[in-house]
Amino acid sequence: MKKKLTFLLAIIMIFSLAFTGCSGSGGDSGGGNGGDSGGDSGDTVKIGWIGSLTGDQAPWGKCESQTVEMLIEQTNANGGVLGGRMLELVKYDTKNDPNEAVNAVKRLVSQDKVCAILGPNASAQALAITNVLNSAHVSDIATVATNPKITVNDKGEVNPYNFRVCFTDPYQGAVAGGYAADVLKYKKAAILYDVASDYSQGFMQYFIETFEAKGGTIVAQEAFKAGDTDFRPQLTKIKEADPEVILMPYYYKEVALSANQARELGITATLMGGDGWPSDNLFEMAGKAIEGSYVVNHFDYNDPEVIPLTEMYIEKYGTTPEINCYMVHDAYGVLLAAIERAGIADSQAITDALTQVEYKGVTGTITLGEDTHDPVGKEAAIQQIKFNTEKGEYEYVFMQKYGTQE
Amino acid sequence: MSVFLQQLINGLSIGSIYALMAVGYSLVYSILNFSNFAHGGVIMLGAYFGLYALNLLSLPFMGALVVAAFAAGLVAVGLEKIAYSPLRKRNAPSLYFIISAMGASIFLENFVVATIGPTFKTYPEIFSTTPITFGAISVSRIDILMFVIAGISLAILVFIIEKTKVGLAIRACSYSARGSNLMGVNVNRIIFVIFLLGGMLAGVAGMLFGMKYTVYPQIGVITNKSFIAAVFGGLGSLPGAVVGSILLGLIETISAGYIASQYRDLIAFSLLIIVLVVKPSGLMGKITEDKA
Amino acid sequence: MFSWFYIEGILILVGINVMIVLGLSLLTGFTGLFSFGHAGFMAIGAYVAVTCTMQLNVPFYLAVLIGGIAAMIASLFIGYFTLNLKGDYFCIATLGFGEAIRLILDNMTIVGGARGLPGIPLDTTLVNVIVIDIIGIMAMAYLIKSRHGRNMIAIREEELASQAIGINVFRYKMESLAISALYAGIGGALWAHYVGFIQPLMFQLTKSTEMTIMVIFGGLGSITGSVVGAFILTFLPELLRELANWRLVFYGAAVIAIMIARPQGMLGGIEITDMFRWIKRTVTGENRRAKAAAEAEKEAKTELPGEGGGES
Repeated sequence: MKKKLTFLLAIIMIFSLAFTGCSGSGGDSGGGNGGDSGGDSGDTVKIGWIGSLTGDQAPWGKCESQTVEMLIEQTNANGGVLGGRMLELVKYDTKNDPNEAVNAVKRLVSQDKVCAILGPNASAQALAITNVLNSAHVSDIATVATNPKITVNDKGEVNPYNFRVCFTDPYQGAVAGGYAADVLKYKKAAILYDVASDYSQGFMQYFIETFEAKGGTIVAQEAFKAGDTDFRPQLTKIKEADPEVILMPYYYKEVALSANQARELGITATLMGGDGWPSDNLFEMAGKAIEGSYVVNHFDYNDPEVIPLTEMYIEKYGTTPEINCYMVHDAYGVLLAAIERAGIADSQAITDALTQVEYKGVTGTITLGEDTHDPVGKEAAIQQIKFNTEKGEYEYVFMQKYGTQE
Repeated sequence: MSVFLQQLINGLSIGSIYALMAVGYSLVYSILNFSNFAHGGVIMLGAYFGLYALNLLSLPFMGALVVAAFAAGLVAVGLEKIAYSPLRKRNAPSLYFIISAMGASIFLENFVVATIGPTFKTYPEIFSTTPITFGAISVSRIDILMFVIAGISLAILVFIIEKTKVGLAIRACSYSARGSNLMGVNVNRIIFVIFLLGGMLAGVAGMLFGMKYTVYPQIGVITNKSFIAAVFGGLGSLPGAVVGSILLGLIETISAGYIASQYRDLIAFSLLIIVLVVKPSGLMGKITEDKA
Repeated sequence: MFSWFYIEGILILVGINVMIVLGLSLLTGFTGLFSFGHAGFMAIGAYVAVTCTMQLNVPFYLAVLIGGIAAMIASLFIGYFTLNLKGDYFCIATLGFGEAIRLILDNMTIVGGARGLPGIPLDTTLVNVIVIDIIGIMAMAYLIKSRHGRNMIAIREEELASQAIGINVFRYKMESLAISALYAGIGGALWAHYVGFIQPLMFQLTKSTEMTIMVIFGGLGSITGSVVGAFILTFLPELLRELANWRLVFYGAAVIAIMIARPQGMLGGIEITDMFRWIKRTVTGENRRAKAAAEAEKEAKTELPGEGGGES
């Protein structure tokens, strides 16, 4: 009897979850069958959002989705779009899994019939959803996905329904390499990278290309695997090669650990990184170790353009926003401009309009190039981490904008 | 030369963490012939317990360590009562134990993710992080601390097993549970003690890991390496677990430092296979094949 | 209510998972071996198949088969070294194996490395998957009913005794592993051609445990159970989108509960053919008669008060 009860309990647990999930699951279904260009469903204009709300990347995904909600509220309060129609958001969690992203997008285009999608914040997911976007004729604007193949495939053709508002890995790596060689005048660089991360591999590849093209030498190139916590074997080897700068193109947790360990081993070289660095806990854990390091970022937090958005976010949510907030703000802005220009909430029309609008956002003026669907002429911002003795904390100090001809 | 010495120290340091983790795991295996895959989850909880003991209860270091150890020990005992004991009473095949352990480990890891959250947490700085340097070689203070604490814990464990009555009962059970039962040993109580001891070791390991690196719900995944180390050194042998772990740490470091850092885990894994082929019970393991 | 485009995608995923779970069911459910690294076999199947279709212009079905065979060969390699030893060694070895495969793939930039391989032709359709699944299920059912299957079950139940009566334990374990790897490889190949993009990160430990959980829910030792388990647990995450974090917590707890309360899971040991037989027997009244006969026999054996122990 007891055994049957326990088993029954387990089954009940699972199915009750299913039912609560069913009734509460996001996205109202528009009727009928799915497939072709979606969008118009009555009075509201539906936009989709996908990203990681759980898992490692959750802090960024959560910030992004909250920003979108905040912006939609604002737009609706000001009268909506297309002459008075309200915007509606349908958001799904991809759990940082490309497979989930495919499922989510399928649901968005067929069930929920959105006219466009914002996000994701990771390249692998953006790559995975290309096929679905193509067959459904719905566009997606990626926020911080940097793999070049997302918008332009191996044969050099542009993917018709993928767009992005951030720079690509080649660009980021080139900026880092260029800045290190031209401005900081370094000749010897070492790299520690994550062999299991597409972001890390891409960044590193293009850094090497640019740095060597400008006359520098890579004196050491060591790898680790995401999830590792001890980098001292690799760092000891790097120390032996005596570099002037060490590139750490990966995410904040490993950055904190490796930076601390590097200093422990007595390495004094400058550290350099990309948009995977900035996060709340980075300073808490490794502030002293990364003081003086340079970060290639999408924009600068202290840019006056950016401040109103920051304050709006802090007021509503009580925490400081991550990069994604600003990127999705601009993606949203571009989308809105395209919707207005298209005149109807039809996904194909919006797609066509996306390359024809120009939007002045907080990260710069954005035009999406026709053959690349990437933002044209956007510069990266180089920041240095310094200790602010007045405020008693670490902060990013804007150095300059730097671009390459990539 | 100094580079080599530094790498040696790196390897010993990594190995000692594996050792602490592997011993608790091997302890359970040596008595129950069962791989407690949920051990990683207990280690992870140990890290969190230690953190909260320091931050919320404002205990000094030793106090927090003790709290972490006991709390983790209790979790391990609770785990045994809920997930393994019912199976043991029914003489369930070992497959069921493994599956139940897997379920427990998934439960623990995701419970922490769902409640506390996935972002990593850092220990407050109790010991200075400036390393002690001998010329070009640096040893971190935490490493030295870890050696000491690991050494003391293992010494206490060995003392309990070799010199106390409870230890005698444990050793008896490892040879034959049924026989010991016939001789008057309360097997259930012994199992309770074993899991408590294993859990306490896990708690200590977890807290030290958290201090040295950082605290996050997936710490359990690192412990998979320590399982490999335990197998390497010979499942069921406590000295084997320690030796295997230190060796694994050194091999990993040498691979990363002198061969190719991106293939480090691959090399470790290949070595495991080679050892299993050449000496199937591991370096120091005992043969536990049933003979009818 | 639900759009077909969306449902079709989920059904294809179900079909793919069924394939992998079938193989795992043979290994864990019928032979009693636990593998932590099945995602590694999926990965091999996926990458080999994709290389066939994209670089060598091999037709789809053949490429999938080649992927499966490649995974099978890899499994022979690992099985040879570890199946001679106790089950726990095998577990840990599969754990290392899964991670090792992933690491090798991360470093192979020729197939994209960690950055993955986009642009895979989308050859997997619902029809394809159903056809392959049916063949897979029939083959598996045949295997289980045969001498091979019965030997594997014997090994699971009592390994020592099986060896004593002359079953070549090692050989049947290898067979079981090889076939389960074949299925996993095929599943992986199908998956690659459905998503259109693969990267090594998709084949990590969590994927292996996901598949194993499906086997456990469905019930060890039942093909029908594995199919049902795959079906339910592929749909469930879609329905439970709100509670993603807690879903895994409940899975973990449910696995423990199942092992304690009902290790057969939902349908352990029961196949759909058994149900047919049961239905038939009910209809023809055979069940009723058998039950009545059993009850009569029980009564005859019951002692009447006043009569001591006595003969029946």
